[in-house]
Amino acid sequence: MFLSIIRIIKFSLQDIGRNIWLSLVTVIILILSLFTVNMLLVVKVIGDTAVDAVRDKIDINLFLKSESGEEDILSLKTKLANLDEVKEVNYISKQAALENFRKTHANNPEILESLREIGNNPLTPNLIIRPNSLDEFDNLINKINTFDDEIIESRNFTNYKIMLNKINFITEKVSKAGLFLSTIFLFITILVVYNSVRVAIYTHRREITIMRLVGASKWFIQMPFLLSGIIYTLFGLIAVMGLFYPFLTLLQPYLETFFVGYNVNLIQYFYGQAHIIFGLEFIAVAFVNIIASHLAVRKYSSV
Amino acid sequence: MIKYYNVSKEYTPGARVLNRINLHIKPGEFTSIVGQSGTGKTTVVKTLIGEEKIDNGKIVIGGWDITNISQREVPVLRRQIGVIFQDFKLLPRKTLFENVAFAMQVCGGNPRKIKRIVPHVMKIVGLEKKVYRYPQEVSGGEGQRVAIARALVHRPKILLADEPTGNLDSLNAHEIIELLLRINKFGTTVILVTHNREIVNRLRRRVITIDNGQIISDREKGRYLL
Repeated sequence: MFLSIIRIIKFSLQDIGRNIWLSLVTVIILILSLFTVNMLLVVKVIGDTAVDAVRDKIDINLFLKSESGEEDILSLKTKLANLDEVKEVNYISKQAALENFRKTHANNPEILESLREIGNNPLTPNLIIRPNSLDEFDNLINKINTFDDEIIESRNFTNYKIMLNKINFITEKVSKAGLFLSTIFLFITILVVYNSVRVAIYTHRREITIMRLVGASKWFIQMPFLLSGIIYTLFGLIAVMGLFYPFLTLLQPYLETFFVGYNVNLIQYFYGQAHIIFGLEFIAVAFVNIIASHLAVRKYSSV
Repeated sequence: MIKYYNVSKEYTPGARVLNRINLHIKPGEFTSIVGQSGTGKTTVVKTLIGEEKIDNGKIVIGGWDITNISQREVPVLRRQIGVIFQDFKLLPRKTLFENVAFAMQVCGGNPRKIKRIVPHVMKIVGLEKKVYRYPQEVSGGEGQRVAIARALVHRPKILLADEPTGNLDSLNAHEIIELLLRINKFGTTVILVTHNREIVNRLRRRVITIDNGQIISDREKGRYLL
């Protein structure tokens, strides 16, 4: 049994070697398919990070007058915190706002110099309101607009919902396009693998005839061709892994620049999930290839 | 050894290739099956190795009824019947040794057994000094002898030779027949399917003549009739 398996592997590698150019084309098509699938995953990770980044920023800033009394501010804070749509309200005092500003612009000496020139603290105290959920965002804005407290200087209601919808829309469109491309590549893969196995059978027709003649089992005759499908998958997957990690290494600095302050590490993600991602891809593609090979073997191996 | 009971076979409806064939070949016999092209000789060969199913009748080989043999059992049957053809069916990229060894490899033979048996059968066919040559480096007669060696590696009880001399000159053809007779002397049942009149007449062995899918003559020391 063990000997037969070794011989099946040997014959399978011979099949691939004798039609090396066709095998190469097959593997390239597989690489394209797998690369597209992995790109879909990258888009998903980036999309999720972008959504999280925006979600993280969803808050409403109420800027208060500089001369507002602490008691009035805390009273307004309590009123706001009592609203059903509000998750929490944070009070940033004038002094805290200045410290935050200094921290944020620590690397910008020009801004800090300007601040020093002004002399006193030009910032105002503010209340940062976080909604319970994005769905309640519009309601909350309407309610806050009804608050007519004299200490409120201005309100910042950036509509993050539109931004989130846009991100979701783009991610969805890219995913759909990727899925469409993957399906096309998968279909091409099936055709190419089917054809490769068919050609391999054709080039081995003499061997197959002899095998049948001398009493080789059907299993032994057909297995090398079925195995070819798995070997193509393996080669394709190894090549994709070899190409994909350098690609991620190139992409990573751009992402880090784009998502400053957010943890978006694609390399880490793909290393951490490698066994699941590439394992599932191997199982799925090998399954498809075995079916394609099986169809070709069933049709053409009775030489 | 081989028994055909009222065997009929047709490929297209109404056109019978074998028509109620009855024959009995005893163990160790050397039998020639003769007939013109298209009379059903090759169909007899095909039904014997399980390549074609018969429509009616029964075929028994060594007590094994192969009439309705399953696809799984066909390889087992073929290991018991050595077959050689007119075109030798050798692999050009393999040496003569590898060609013979191939038959054992694909049936799961272990390397030690292969190393022991292949030189032995190559010696029987007289090619022990040419084992590392390629098929294109030897004569037609030697190529056919390699095919015979390959057919012998499973120590078959039956050796089926379908037009083995068809591609050979008379000298090489004579050598092949001599080899088949020698193998027959070891106790192997040999069935020679041919339309070579000279060979059949010189053999003076059992001759079964087929015409239009029917046995028209079966003689112990026969001659080519048609």
